[in-house]
This record gives sequence, C-alpha cells and structure tokens, in this order.
Amino acid sequence: MTVATTLPPIERGRAGLREETLSEWTKLRSVRSTWIALAVVVVAGIGLSALVTNIEAGRWAGLGVVDRAQFDPVRFSQTGEFISQFVVGVLGALIVTSEYATGSIRTTLATIPRRTTVLAAKGIVIAAVIFVVAELTAFASFFVSQAVLTAHGGKALPSGSSIVAQLKSPTIPVASITSPGAARAVFLCGVYLVLLTIIALGIGFILRHTAGAISLYVGLLLVLPLIIQILPSSISNSIERYLPSNLGLAMIVVTTRKTDFAGVLMSPWAAAGTLALYAAVIVVIGGWVLVRRDA
Amino acid sequence: MHVIEAARLSKSYGRTRAVDGLSFEVRAGVVTGFLGPNGSGKSTTMRMIMGLDRPNAGDVTLDGRRYHDLRWPLREVGALLEAKAVHPGRSARNHLLSLAQTNTIPKERVDEVLELVGLTAVAGRKVGKFSLGMSQRLGIASALLGDPGVLLFDEPINGLDPEGILWVRNLLKSLAGEGRTIFVSSHLMSEMSLTATDLVVIGRGKLIADTTVDDFIRSNTVATVLVRSPEAGRLADVLSSIGASVTSGEGGSLLVTKVDSARIGEAAHAAGIALHELSPQQASLEEVFMELTSDSVDFHGHARVGVAS
Repeated sequence: MTVATTLPPIERGRAGLREETLSEWTKLRSVRSTWIALAVVVVAGIGLSALVTNIEAGRWAGLGVVDRAQFDPVRFSQTGEFISQFVVGVLGALIVTSEYATGSIRTTLATIPRRTTVLAAKGIVIAAVIFVVAELTAFASFFVSQAVLTAHGGKALPSGSSIVAQLKSPTIPVASITSPGAARAVFLCGVYLVLLTIIALGIGFILRHTAGAISLYVGLLLVLPLIIQILPSSISNSIERYLPSNLGLAMIVVTTRKTDFAGVLMSPWAAAGTLALYAAVIVVIGGWVLVRRDA
Repeated sequence: MHVIEAARLSKSYGRTRAVDGLSFEVRAGVVTGFLGPNGSGKSTTMRMIMGLDRPNAGDVTLDGRRYHDLRWPLREVGALLEAKAVHPGRSARNHLLSLAQTNTIPKERVDEVLELVGLTAVAGRKVGKFSLGMSQRLGIASALLGDPGVLLFDEPINGLDPEGILWVRNLLKSLAGEGRTIFVSSHLMSEMSLTATDLVVIGRGKLIADTTVDDFIRSNTVATVLVRSPEAGRLADVLSSIGASVTSGEGGSLLVTKVDSARIGEAAHAAGIALHELSPQQASLEEVFMELTSDSVDFHGHARVGVAS
C-alpha cells in the first residue's frame, strides 16, 4: 500500500499566519451555522431597522416637542444592531469554544504549534467577515430606513439645519448619508459589531466553554447596565459611559442633534477607541490563557 | 537512530500524577506499541509529544527537536488523538482541507488520503453522521495527510469492525515497512502482540517495560507443562527428584515448571510411568499484562464470580 504520491516537499518558511488564516476561513465557511448567523445579521439588521423606523414614522404626527427633538432617523435605521450584537457574539465565541467542545482545538494547535498565530488567524478571519457583512448591512439599513421615512411623507431637512428646524418641521426629518455625522454613525455601527465579535472571541479563549462564554458576553451587554443602574446616581453617572452597550450607543447617536444622551455619552471616536481597548485587553488575556494552559 | 525520545517526563493534573518520570525511546522502521491500562497516562504522554500539554518536568523530542520547533509539523508528525475531535457539521473533505492548508499541502492530497482510508464515497457528508469506525478512518486520513515520518495513533482500533482492525494492522505494518516511526497506544496486549515489534509498557504513569514484544513474552511468561498420569503421586515424586516444581491442577492433573516437556517424558519413561497427557501451556499475553500492571490499575472491578458457599 503506497501512502504518498503527490506531496511535493517544501524547503522554506514555516506553517504560519498565512496558512492558518486560509485554514480558518475554510473552517468558518464550511459549517452551516456561520451562514445562518450572517443571514440573521443581514435580515435582522435591515428588517428590524425598517420596521422600527416605520413605527416611529407613524408616531411623528402625535409627537410632542421633546420627542420630536429625540427623533433620530440615523439611529432608527440601525435598530437591528440590537439583535445582531448577540448573533456576532455567539459566532465569535463559537469559532473558539466549538473547537474546545469537540477537542479539535488539539488538532488545530498541533498543525500550528505557535498558538498566538492561531488566535491571530481566527481574529483576522472573523473580523474581516463581520466587517464586510456588518458594514453592508448598516448602509443598506440606512438607505432602506430613509426610504421608509420618505414614504411616510418625510423630507430631508436643509443641510446644517439646527435641532430647532427639526422641532418646527411639519414633516418627518429624513437623513441623507451626507448629513452631518450620518456616514460616521453608520460606519461605526459596523465597527461596533466587529469589536464585539473580537471581544467574544477573546472570551471564548479565556473560558473555553460555549455556555460560559456566551453568558459572560450577554451579561456584559445586558446585565451589567442593570447592575450599574441600581448604584447611586453619583457613581453610576460616571461609570455608565464606559459600559460596552453605551459605547455602542455613543458610536451611533448623531450627537450634533442634541438628544437625551448628550453629555452622558463619549464622543463617537472616543467610544470606538475605548471599545477597541477593551477588545485588545480581552484578546491579550485570551492569548495568555491559550499559551499558558494545556490544550 | 531513535526518533521519539522521552526523558524523565512527568505531568500532574492537580494532585493526580498522570505521568511520572517516564523515559523511553521509539525507533524508526518498526511499530512500537504503547501499552497500559486505561488511565495509565498514555494519552497524556501522546499530548506531551505533540506539545499540547506542557510537562512539569522532563522533555520529549522528535529527532532531537521539540514539537514546538517543527516548521511544518503535519509533514513531520501525523497523529490520531481523538477520532471524534472534528466539528460535526463539517464535511470530511472540508475538515481535511482545513488541515492541509495549515501546512501548504495540496488539495489533491486530501482526495488521495480519503481514497486511501476508503472514505471517498462519503467525503461530502457531515462528520457528525459518521460512525465511530468511519471517524477513526478520518482520523487516520488526517494523520497521513502530510506524509509524515512519525505517526502517533491513540487507540486506533477502537470502534472498528474486524475488517477495519485487520486493515489498521496492515496499514501500521506497511507504514513501518516504509521506514516510518509508528507509535500506537492500546490497552489490549493481544492486539499489540499481533501488530507491534517493540513495546513500551506503562502503568500509573510509570515505565514498566521498554523492550521488544518477543523479549517481553519470553521474560514474563513461565513455561508450564500440564501432565496427566494414572500414577500422578509417584510421577510427582519422580519429577521433584529431577528438580521440577510440581503443583496439582484440575482433575488430578499436575502443573510442572522448571523442566520442559521432553525431560518430563523421559523421566516418566525411565520410571515406567504411563502418561495420558503432556502439554506445554502458553500463558496468554493478556494474563502477563494483567499480572504486570495489576498493581498499577487505579480502579479494580470487584466482581464475585462463582464463589461456592
């Protein structure tokens, strides 16, 4: 029985990031759960955003001054992100924890003995995929939602118009992608999902168990804000802006329109930078655990 | 030239000593059996060879290099550690492709190993639907993917049908015949006696024997001869006088050690004693193995079998 016939030898290099990235892409695309998750991101992103925008548009006529001031056509167009943030988190955690669950992480680490390379390759692949899907979804949601507002009789406000113009406007305000902050908000919505995916990936490497990793991830986004709210407002006011969910809000709210969040939230880029810092810290801890602990 | 070399390898998990000062060598060109009861540290040792678990002390090298320093590990070492360690939702072909890509192994090689292990027909099927036997074959395919010089198999015949077992045996021998280093763990001595040339035997993480199968059998089995005679009592005296050790066996038979069957026959003939049976007894390898490792099995079953009251 002959075992080898067509394997050409290689002299140079070593199994590294390029090879492992290719492999991780193969692994990601070859399971159905990936495609289901991405489909949910797209459908929930566009569908839920359009639905919520439609509901809000229907309420415009009956809104008072305060509510009209808070009417944010950009933010409504990104409502679907609330669902997507959990979906990308599950996906980010699963590409690590599913390997621990089956034991195939040992095969992976045996093929690429430098463990940080494995972490980097997984991060690159999942971040790239989520970036593409999340940005396409965010921009598509934006345009679909503005179309919904226009269908409700909405009109674009003159560019550079103040919040006062929005308050006094008889028609629903419709944002254009060139409206101040709109493109940035939509773009950062995609970035928010990418950073959350990386955080989930890092948690996966730290905890190694699917249920634990997803619980912690959901806890950071949903439970932590509730706990902070129970604290005295003197404390909670200074902490709130650092919560991942509020950083996400800060990245999406078009703060040039003074809404109820102004003053509480960071500026969009500062929020993005802070969330990126969280992701970096969690990934470094995950990498440390990966290198130090037995596989 | 020894290819795998373990030197005073030790590994503890919490308070449990899984591997304890283990040293052995595995040479190329033969199948080396890695034998020990379940829980004796075989899998832990395999994982340490692969650089997956870090030893608390000692070292294990492949041709003098640590696994971590191999540049194209799949092309040098192939391993079947756990057959079921594959994402159940992925097809066999995609699983192998993802492995091949890590070490720049061409796509055609994936189809080649699928053919080799007989999984071509189910290559596109999800691995989760595979039987244990098919998973073992897939594991063997992934081990062979990089055409490596060193192959590690952890219990490769688990879950295989008789035909599959025979196939694995022949595969292992032919791989060894090509000059490769084959290190196969098993808890079945009988299986190893059919497949392996060399043996590394461990119990409770400690080395019991590092030898060849032949030597292992020779040095650990006592040749016993079963003798039946109508004059058993007189025969026992005669045999004792020529230095034999005699105990009584079932149904009035005698179990004789220290002299071989030829001398027993001659002595009986000289004394004019008729013999009804004279048969050398082969102690089974499984018995030898059980005997050797009985002190090093963590959990004994306490079955009460046929105790007359």
